[in-house]
Amino acid sequence: MEKQPQKQAADQPADSGGEDGAVGPSQVAGAQAASSEDRMTLLLRLRAQTKQQLLEYKSILDASEEKTPEQIMQEKQIEAKIEDLENEIEQAKITFEIKQLAINSVLVDSMKHLLKLNKLVMKSQQESWDLEEKLLDIRKKRLQLKQASESKLLEIQTEKNKQKIDLDGMENSERIKIIRQNLQMEIKITTVIQHVFQNLILGSKVNWAEDSALKEIVLQLEKNVDMI
Amino acid sequence: MSVLRPLDKLPSLNTATILLVGTEDALLQQLADSMLKEDCASELKVHLAKSLPLPSSVNRPRIDLIVFVVNLHSKYSLQNTEESLHHVDASFFLGKVCFLATGAGRESHCSIHRHTVVRLAHSYQSPLLYCDLEVEGFRATMAQRLVRMLQICAGHVPGVSALNLLSLLRSSEGPSLEDM
Repeated sequence: MEKQPQKQAADQPADSGGEDGAVGPSQVAGAQAASSEDRMTLLLRLRAQTKQQLLEYKSILDASEEKTPEQIMQEKQIEAKIEDLENEIEQAKITFEIKQLAINSVLVDSMKHLLKLNKLVMKSQQESWDLEEKLLDIRKKRLQLKQASESKLLEIQTEKNKQKIDLDGMENSERIKIIRQNLQMEIKITTVIQHVFQNLILGSKVNWAEDSALKEIVLQLEKNVDMI
Repeated sequence: MSVLRPLDKLPSLNTATILLVGTEDALLQQLADSMLKEDCASELKVHLAKSLPLPSSVNRPRIDLIVFVVNLHSKYSLQNTEESLHHVDASFFLGKVCFLATGAGRESHCSIHRHTVVRLAHSYQSPLLYCDLEVEGFRATMAQRLVRMLQICAGHVPGVSALNLLSLLRSSEGPSLEDM
């Protein structure tokens, strides 16, 4: 009699797949139709769940390996023992929290230090970049100057070549020939005149070495006019 | 099997199962509906039973949390609960059992003294929750609480276990000195 209503009640698991389960199947369907991100979140969640469940099973295994006290203890004693064990658990929790806080503070310090170092690194990198930029500018300027000097020298060279050509050209012109001829004529005349004066003075058998004026004239006459 | 054991079966993926044991079918059904309406990342399965032992013919998944619903208006409810408690394995009481007392709002109809239930919960080291399941608002809040507890007991919340929750929920006062 009692079993029947039991069975009925137990047999209507109002589970998420049943009548009221608008929530259940939609969750499963949603997970299947979801994008890969949702699938990733689902997988990560399942992983966390499985980890936690594994931890629970492990702890139960460890607990069951401990030997249970053989003697039958009074209820009060059992309660006292339970309280002691609970206090132990609380102590363990508190020490754990304290250790976590200590580690966190160390962590925070090291992270601040890291941040400072990172800023320094970035600053020095920026500085080195600026210096490299300046170096590059100076090199460019040097190159420009070199090119300018090259062009100038080229100009000078062409000018010189032009001058040479002009000069060579000039040499072949007629006027120069005439002038040259005249020059030769004058040289000859002057040489003759020189010789005449020389011979005049020598022929007069005067001691021209004593007189400074005569000495000067004789020496001057020695100068070969050709050498101008 | 005549005794419910917590770790007889392996957990199914992303599923959490709660078993509501109580004599008032309507209340249990309403509570189950409220729980299923709750927003939950994992799949929820709610099983209802009038009393234990459950028939072994039904293929049911691993039960993560048992809630014994005691109606303070009827002594039969308390008796039924006490009898069902014998069919639960001791390892279940490490955080996977919870007592829910309903009907405390209408003091005049209460035939069970509140302290009786408190003592019962204390002797089984399990948390005791109060809720008037007939009132919609309270029922919804209680459903939310139960869903959170269920998630923790099923191992879906990393870092918190059922035992952990139990030690957190432990109230500092035992049954009052008047009863002792």
